[in-house]
Amino acid sequence: MTPEEIIAAAGAGLPPEVRCEPDHGGVMLRVPPGHWLAGLAFARERLDCDFFDWLTAVDEADEGFSVVVHVYSLAGRHHVLLATALPRSAPRLPTATGVYRGAAWHERETHEMFGIGFDGHPHLAPLLLPDGFEGHPLRKDFVLAARAAKEWPGAKEPGERGVPGKRGVPRARRRGPPHVPHGWRPA
Amino acid sequence: MTAGTPADGLPARSRGVIALLEENCTVCMLCARECPDWCIYIESHQEPVPGAEYGGAGDRRRVRNVLDRFAIDFSLCMYCGICVEACPYDALFWSPEFSYAETDIAALTHEQGRLREWMWTVPPPPAHDQGQRPPRD
Repeated sequence: MTPEEIIAAAGAGLPPEVRCEPDHGGVMLRVPPGHWLAGLAFARERLDCDFFDWLTAVDEADEGFSVVVHVYSLAGRHHVLLATALPRSAPRLPTATGVYRGAAWHERETHEMFGIGFDGHPHLAPLLLPDGFEGHPLRKDFVLAARAAKEWPGAKEPGERGVPGKRGVPRARRRGPPHVPHGWRPA
Repeated sequence: MTAGTPADGLPARSRGVIALLEENCTVCMLCARECPDWCIYIESHQEPVPGAEYGGAGDRRRVRNVLDRFAIDFSLCMYCGICVEACPYDALFWSPEFSYAETDIAALTHEQGRLREWMWTVPPPPAHDQGQRPPRD
């Protein structure tokens, strides 16, 4: 199917809230969370996307999170991306494992990395992070603790010798390293 | 047999190692600040500009920054190339050379001299696109 054919099929077969747009040679279908499973089932059955490639999330800061799935048709050789927007306060989705069983690991990883819940998932345990790890490392507000433990090589001003900050407090030092709140120290 | 060794001709844009053209470095610190891995270490000091010790305009001593140390720790580097992109003075370049494995992790920190040596392996920049306006310099 060409992107135009996919968009035409999606426009006819999916609710009008679904936005379809061409995206890097494939098609991006933006579905509301309530139509997430219907959108996935449509991609699998009606768009012939039998190959589940990946599922992940994007931290959109104030706009919450996007969950994105990439599926592919082995026979038709066309790509489809499905995305849905979730609020930051309660990021939850029904699990995609009923449509694509291979999504199970991807949802586990998205759960631990972004803190997004997948209702109905058979085993939503951490996949990669060590036991007892706190926080969701791929969220934009996750503090990079290693950066508080090591001295920032960028803290020095041009031409400054030795320990940074000897000539007053340089601008970069005052601003501090990126992604560490000012004055933050590991617990 | 492994394909894609330098003998087979790697693409010119291959990210093997980062080379430093220290003559171009002005110690602006931009690369060290942009580096997400914090693996660029720079030491520098200020020196009066020769011939301007006794004041130029307004009798102010003019100084310039002199690079003392420039090192990249390739055991931390993730080869993102942000430093190469960030450098406004064309002092950092990608070289396709990748054969510099070490048994001692400390030896993966390449100091200024070694980074300068990599410059000899940096391929010439790609030709301009057809129809592109010729460069002004």
